[in-house]
Amino acid sequence: MNTQIDCDVRAKIERTLYESSVSTFEDTCFMYLAPEMEEEQKELPLEAASEARYRGDWTGKLLIETRGGMLEAIASNILSLDEPSLQQKKDALGEIANIICGNVVISLGRHGRVSKIESPKFLSEEELQTEEDIGSCVAGITLNFFEGRADIKFYVDGYIAAKEQNSD
Amino acid sequence: MALNILVVDDSSVMRSIVIKTLKMTGLPLGEIWEGSNGAEGLRILQEQWIDLAIVDIHMPVMDGEEMINHLRENEQYQNLPVIVVSSESDPSKIEMMHRKGATFIHKPFKPETLKEVMIAVTGVSNEYTD
Repeated sequence: MNTQIDCDVRAKIERTLYESSVSTFEDTCFMYLAPEMEEEQKELPLEAASEARYRGDWTGKLLIETRGGMLEAIASNILSLDEPSLQQKKDALGEIANIICGNVVISLGRHGRVSKIESPKFLSEEELQTEEDIGSCVAGITLNFFEGRADIKFYVDGYIAAKEQNSD
Repeated sequence: MALNILVVDDSSVMRSIVIKTLKMTGLPLGEIWEGSNGAEGLRILQEQWIDLAIVDIHMPVMDGEEMINHLRENEQYQNLPVIVVSSESDPSKIEMMHRKGATFIHKPFKPETLKEVMIAVTGVSNEYTD
């Protein structure tokens, strides 16, 4: 599949990924960026991961990984709960992935008609590694919060419309 | 006037986000009802007095577009204010929602944005709470 994206579009995707991620955490989770990353936050182990897949002219996914106490903080803040259940934490992280993905796909440009963003899926560490090897990561950001760290990557697996045109 | 509001979304997390944001608007709220798809939303509308519906687009069983179609075909709900809250990116779909008299808010959204739209579509005032 064709996954060629020109530099302008790639830059736009990265900018949109950053802006929409920050505003999603601020507006939805009421979590704000920390001024700088502490040394220990660079070494935090993976806490949780979720993916939101999109389908349309382009296909691909957004992966979000959390480290530190992010998973609990996201669910607590969204749901106004002191002790959210594991399922509530998974659902909350998935919703964040879904919202950010919905914003970023718009920046795929005039060929970026997206028909559907699938329900988010919580990933095990193994599943995350598998997903990271599929498709092309066109943008990735790291956001540092007082509660922990979020790494967010946007993947393009293929350009369906181009494939269809080539096969005509 | 306190608004009775129907929130329709298949994600319970998203319904929580919308309800939390509603409470942050400072506008007078009455009962808040929740539905997980368009069909459930329509059923609640038949049983309760609702002043405003806040609806997602992509849902199983009956999606938001179909639910709005049913509303607009029914004389009783033809003028019900509807706000669509979605991460939908297809401009044609968003335009179609507008044509059906629904106001679109893209996720994520701030309480101020929701408040402005709620005032615009319902005419409610927050004079009582200020």
